[in-house]
Amino acid sequence: MLSIKNLKASIEDGTQILKGINLEVKPGEVHAIMGPNGSGKSTLSKVIAGHPAYTVNDGVVELDGKNLLDMEICERANSGLFISTQYPTEIPGVNNVEFLQMALNSKRNFLGLPEMSDADFKKLCEEKMQLLEMDDRYRDRGVNEGYSGGEKKRNEILQMAILDPKVSFLDETDSGLDIDALRIVANGINHIMSPEKAVILVTHYQRLLDYIKPTYVHVLRHGKIILSGGPELALKLEEQGYDWIEEK
Amino acid sequence: MSYMNSELAQAAQARINALGMPKRNNELWSFFPVNKIPSVVDADSTAAGAAADSAAVECADFGIAAETDIAALLPIAKSAPAMKKDFAAGETEMGLIKSRDDFGHSIFNIGKNAKVSLEILDNKVEHEIAAERFDINVEEGAELEIFFANPANELPLQFRHFVIKQAANSTVHFSNILQDAGIGRISIDVDLNGEGANFDYRSLSVLKGSASKHQRLTIRHNAPNTVSSQFARNLLDEKSYVSYDGSVIVGNGCSQVNSSQLVNSILLGDESSVSVKPVLKIYHDDVECTHGNTCGELDADQMFYLTSRGIPAETAKKMLMKSFAKELFLPLNDGPAKKRLLQVLASL
Repeated sequence: MLSIKNLKASIEDGTQILKGINLEVKPGEVHAIMGPNGSGKSTLSKVIAGHPAYTVNDGVVELDGKNLLDMEICERANSGLFISTQYPTEIPGVNNVEFLQMALNSKRNFLGLPEMSDADFKKLCEEKMQLLEMDDRYRDRGVNEGYSGGEKKRNEILQMAILDPKVSFLDETDSGLDIDALRIVANGINHIMSPEKAVILVTHYQRLLDYIKPTYVHVLRHGKIILSGGPELALKLEEQGYDWIEEK
Repeated sequence: MSYMNSELAQAAQARINALGMPKRNNELWSFFPVNKIPSVVDADSTAAGAAADSAAVECADFGIAAETDIAALLPIAKSAPAMKKDFAAGETEMGLIKSRDDFGHSIFNIGKNAKVSLEILDNKVEHEIAAERFDINVEEGAELEIFFANPANELPLQFRHFVIKQAANSTVHFSNILQDAGIGRISIDVDLNGEGANFDYRSLSVLKGSASKHQRLTIRHNAPNTVSSQFARNLLDEKSYVSYDGSVIVGNGCSQVNSSQLVNSILLGDESSVSVKPVLKIYHDDVECTHGNTCGELDADQMFYLTSRGIPAETAKKMLMKSFAKELFLPLNDGPAKKRLLQVLASL
């Protein structure tokens, strides 16, 4: 489904952040990526999405056999990629619900489907907001404008629920969430997840993985995946940290 | 009232002749492409010169003798028929203003506690320049909203000059959207003469091509507890240009004056540019006056966020431009101005 081969990327000053990432994600799988700060986890999601601050130096990223790196940012999203960044951007003046409707209809246009009517969108939006226990305050505000850290993360999952992507890359979705919000957000992700979809979670803590069971856990360090394993790896990392891992 | 061949028109032309064609070293015109001003402005008249002294005294209301801005004089000098309208005390009214010719002069008196909304429409121009003047007297407690947001026109050169005098506790909300292709200049002289008077200016320029818009404001706080705010935003593409020249003068003894000026510009084109000149002349201590100016591009993180949700870059750009612009007018009270301005924004 998502295939990342030898992905290398650098920032403007030439510093290479990703030094050859390889990752295969199949439908129905949940991959957790863990690693120390500054190892390249956030960069990975942004590079896949096409953030202009990064230059891809080598590698291929395919979604269902199509190279995402050849696509515009919006085409990657409309092809089924969703990324949630660690610090969702605030956009004052752009209404949250109107933005969501615009995004959904952009995807439908891309897929050759008719735009969703206002009434149908309203219904869909209400249903997903209910799932995430979100109140009407989210409707009238600008995108992430004045939201708390937790509210922003919840809003990200609302977008994921509405856009219904094939692969979701969620960067530290658990940061800034209190215990109840963590449960609600995790339940939302589980609800959206299906055997046809895949999720990549970037996290520092086991607590998110208590709610969302990973198929694989990977350790990313110095721009490379240096270790992969099953769910038990996350528990070991929680207990022992990263120092015991030897880099090849 | 008509100025046709009147002493008033002659006095105005004489004053123009005395001032001479604007030059870039004149600070009223320092940002303006003065070489684009057509010769019709400079049409000398011996008769006008002869009549100047006596006419200037008779027409003291328009301050012709002391006027230094030819944009204020042109509509009178070119024999424009003036339109005068008095709004009675306590009256609530809205209206549309449209000059009948290239040159127009409108005089409004807004009576005590009246509440008036005026929209200025573009006049149909036959010649190479259009110039209008508006003299507005706002009496005690009156509230005026004045605005224009006309569809982009092809006027080569357009001047609009406003003389606004405000009495105590009066409020003026002045808003505009400028999107014309040619060269435009808006000059506004405001006198806040009574305690508690409030002048609020909001302007949006959305320009492309080689359009250029020039705003010159002089706001005189002549009484204590007066408030003025200037807020301009510019979205400039291709080779377009905006200049903003805003002066605030706080008179001696005018305590508790509050004045702000903020200009935010987004340069969308590699060759677009903006010049901003704030001037603060403060002759009293107990006042709060601020000014600020920012200039940059569309926020790259916001662009990325929108496009990463599948919204095409061009659409995302428009969304951000509109949100940038909308913030300017959202604080306006609900009324014809806000409705019209937001309507125009939606269609950009």
